[in-house]
Amino acid sequence: MAKKEVTKPITLDPRGGRPRDKCVTYIEGIDRILNGGIPIGNITLLAGTVGSGKTTLAMEFLINGAKAGETCCYISVTEPSSKMLSNLQTYGFFDDALVKEGKLNIFDLTVINDRLGVERLDGTYTAKDMEALLGAFEDIVDELGVTRLVIDSITAVCYQLPDKGSIRNFIFRLSQFLSTFGCTTMLISETVVDSNVQTYSIFGVEEAVADGVVLMGNIIRQGDLLRSLQVVKMRGTKHSRARHLIELTPIGLAVVPLLKWGQDGGQAFT
Amino acid sequence: MSGVKEIASAIIKSINGGDTLTTIRIGAESFHTDTVKIASVLLSKKLGGIYITTSRPSSHILAELEETKTDLSDLYFIDLVSMTVGGKTDDPRTLYVESPTMLESILLNISLLERRLKAKKRFVMFDSVNGLSIYSEARVLKEFINVLGNSMRIKEIYSMLMTVKEQTDEELASALQLLSDRVIGE
Repeated sequence: MAKKEVTKPITLDPRGGRPRDKCVTYIEGIDRILNGGIPIGNITLLAGTVGSGKTTLAMEFLINGAKAGETCCYISVTEPSSKMLSNLQTYGFFDDALVKEGKLNIFDLTVINDRLGVERLDGTYTAKDMEALLGAFEDIVDELGVTRLVIDSITAVCYQLPDKGSIRNFIFRLSQFLSTFGCTTMLISETVVDSNVQTYSIFGVEEAVADGVVLMGNIIRQGDLLRSLQVVKMRGTKHSRARHLIELTPIGLAVVPLLKWGQDGGQAFT
Repeated sequence: MSGVKEIASAIIKSINGGDTLTTIRIGAESFHTDTVKIASVLLSKKLGGIYITTSRPSSHILAELEETKTDLSDLYFIDLVSMTVGGKTDDPRTLYVESPTMLESILLNISLLERRLKAKKRFVMFDSVNGLSIYSEARVLKEFINVLGNSMRIKEIYSMLMTVKEQTDEELASALQLLSDRVIGE
């Protein structure tokens, strides 16, 4: 009897190879865009303008991870953690128990700074301060066993570093130990739009060191603001590079491809 | 074919025949009443549905449907009108879209609502394509209808694109014809 021919499935990833283990965001559209999630241990720059949904996305990433039994950590740089906690209550997908059980940990950078004694009047970190801060982050991740981390925002931290070389060094060192611990991280980057061009960061350094860049913004369509998301790069996974529309719903973030004709012709990316 | 009864029976035949996307052409004079009657007929046949309204607030359509004494427990609305005009926006079975330019929100909201539908046979009634054409350029609208139609085909939800005969230009009509399995009401 002739041997039955079996059709091999077509592989869509031209690189072939073995895929990396993924950190599933459990945000349906995002996991689809990222072909299953963020490769474990990656540092992703979540760059976007004001009101584009960066903090909400990052929070849902942490909350979903905590619900799945992971230990997650949010480091608040720009606002007190108490304010962040009260904002969290407004999300339908948030559960107080996650904080009580230690699955979702929220830290205030100013408190960490005070404890380390690194808060300076001129607001600039010295090399010694930088080492102390990196050490503090490492301790948090190591001691708590954190597998998902968000720093909101890395821009505010970078403002306290003296030059671009220090920023590069800081993020590189941060990514080294986070990757070693298998901690998947989102660094929130506040961006601005200049002459209709949106950059990935204020200092132009962060995106080069990060493993992934997710760009979030607002599109103007006939005067209305639409939130958009686009994965620019993500090391270790094949991913979509199309621009998507996101909406904040009571059950979390919802993602859908943006209409192609609905984003050109006088519609600026702001 | 002109009467609403004939249109409704053609729709039922189309559903039973395995179609998934149809364009329904109705004259302006009886458009609103006929559309409500068609929805009522489908609900009475135990289909569950999502009614997308771009031309009238959902509260008005709901009130008219309630008058028909049809069971509305498996009917949900996506309303693109009420928020724009400052109407009632508190109905628990309705998802409100901020602006009729936010076409992608319709797709998102269908995804959210289809999970709530209990019936095995489901429909989406898009009332109306002409209502959207007021706010969106023709090429954007055509792209949206194409995405909507194919998305509903994948979800196997029977979709009706309601159009007002007198207000549909040739270009839009031919785009709808190309996309649809059938045009009813010609």
